[in-house]
Amino acid sequence: MHAVGVLEAGLCTHVLITYGHDARSGDSMKKLLFAMSGDDAVFGHFGATAGYAMAARRAMHEFETGPETWKQIAVGQRKWANLNPRAMMYKQTMTGHDYDTAPRVVEPFGLFDNCLISDGGRACIVTTLERARDLAHPPVTLMGLGMDNPSAELVRAGFLAGPTGAYRAGRQALEMAGITLADIDACQIYDCFTYTVEITLQDYGFFKPGEGCDWLKGGTIEPGGSMPVNTSGGLLSEAYQMGMTPLTEAVMQLMGRCGERQLGQQTNTREPRIILCSDNGGILQSHACYILRRI
Amino acid sequence: MTYAKPLPQINSDNQDFWDGCRNHVLKIQMCGSCKKPRLPFSFVCPHCHSTDTKLIESAGRGRVYSYVVYHVAYHPSFKEDLPYVVALVDMDEGVRLLTNIVGCTPEEVYCDMEVKLSWDEVTKDVTLPKFRPVANTRS
Repeated sequence: MHAVGVLEAGLCTHVLITYGHDARSGDSMKKLLFAMSGDDAVFGHFGATAGYAMAARRAMHEFETGPETWKQIAVGQRKWANLNPRAMMYKQTMTGHDYDTAPRVVEPFGLFDNCLISDGGRACIVTTLERARDLAHPPVTLMGLGMDNPSAELVRAGFLAGPTGAYRAGRQALEMAGITLADIDACQIYDCFTYTVEITLQDYGFFKPGEGCDWLKGGTIEPGGSMPVNTSGGLLSEAYQMGMTPLTEAVMQLMGRCGERQLGQQTNTREPRIILCSDNGGILQSHACYILRRI
Repeated sequence: MTYAKPLPQINSDNQDFWDGCRNHVLKIQMCGSCKKPRLPFSFVCPHCHSTDTKLIESAGRGRVYSYVVYHVAYHPSFKEDLPYVVALVDMDEGVRLLTNIVGCTPEEVYCDMEVKLSWDEVTKDVTLPKFRPVANTRS
């Protein structure tokens, strides 16, 4: 959104969005998450897993969800990662049994409800359409965006089971784009945890609260599915690169640069023209939705 | 034996809260302007930005909004407690507190369970507000 602002204002001609982190080999991610815990550490509450697990537990109380729903997300995204040579989990398949028998981390989450911790980097250049038309790859344009940041702290967030910021941000983005969910060919959802994918898709309106398990059944989000989600494997199975994982994957899919996992005929999915993406921060307390289109 | 777990970082903002805990009184801030109760303690009301702050005492009763069960010790001092429960408790006064549920097994905890305060004197100076089930409380 800032990139669009400075481009529209004529202050910049190209904006580079980058991320790089030695989160796996270094200890900075651990330090960051510990620092975020503050006085919650007094009660043994640390990091992000437990915060999202807290949200997921409340969701289990308010509507029909739980590990049976999240398993389909973890296993489905792993199938995409198995088509992506750059994914950390490229060579590791995951069955429903693998998911069920994984070690518990912070219940209701087990190991495979958590995203990866990765070393690596990503970059994406934003420029004007006029400039992009001259470049080597086909331009991908921004059709719509929305943001909603309902809270600053976990203890003040009364909506962990939704509606999260995705509810309003998604509607803003669709309205700006002038389309409906029926026009979306695929999604790249910020998937720090499996539940994040469920609540985000639910708040966008892909299914009603508690209907996620049925909606996901039959491989909806997998290769060959009717609504592919996180086609690189996502944060769960490709690499944790913050919101850059969904952003770069959406752009590359629309440009047709995704090799074996390319959406379209090759993976028995719809030709990607419009991809909806999300990003969120805190424990479901800030949210951005944006919709990209190939022209 | 020294207490190995992290202790609260007490400062001028939250001094009254932790002083209250030491005396087994759970204090809640109440905005003098918009009358909204709040936790954690803050100098400015997050709703109306007023600095006019009053203190009220909680009756110590609430319900579990949500909870999680730790199976991993992210700090070594919690290893002996595994599996343990961290919960968000909605107090009857209208504020939410991050805390532990004690006095029952993790399997016995559920969302909306009624709980009451249970003080844990962890050091000479620090007492933590924890909660136990109202019903069938073990001694």
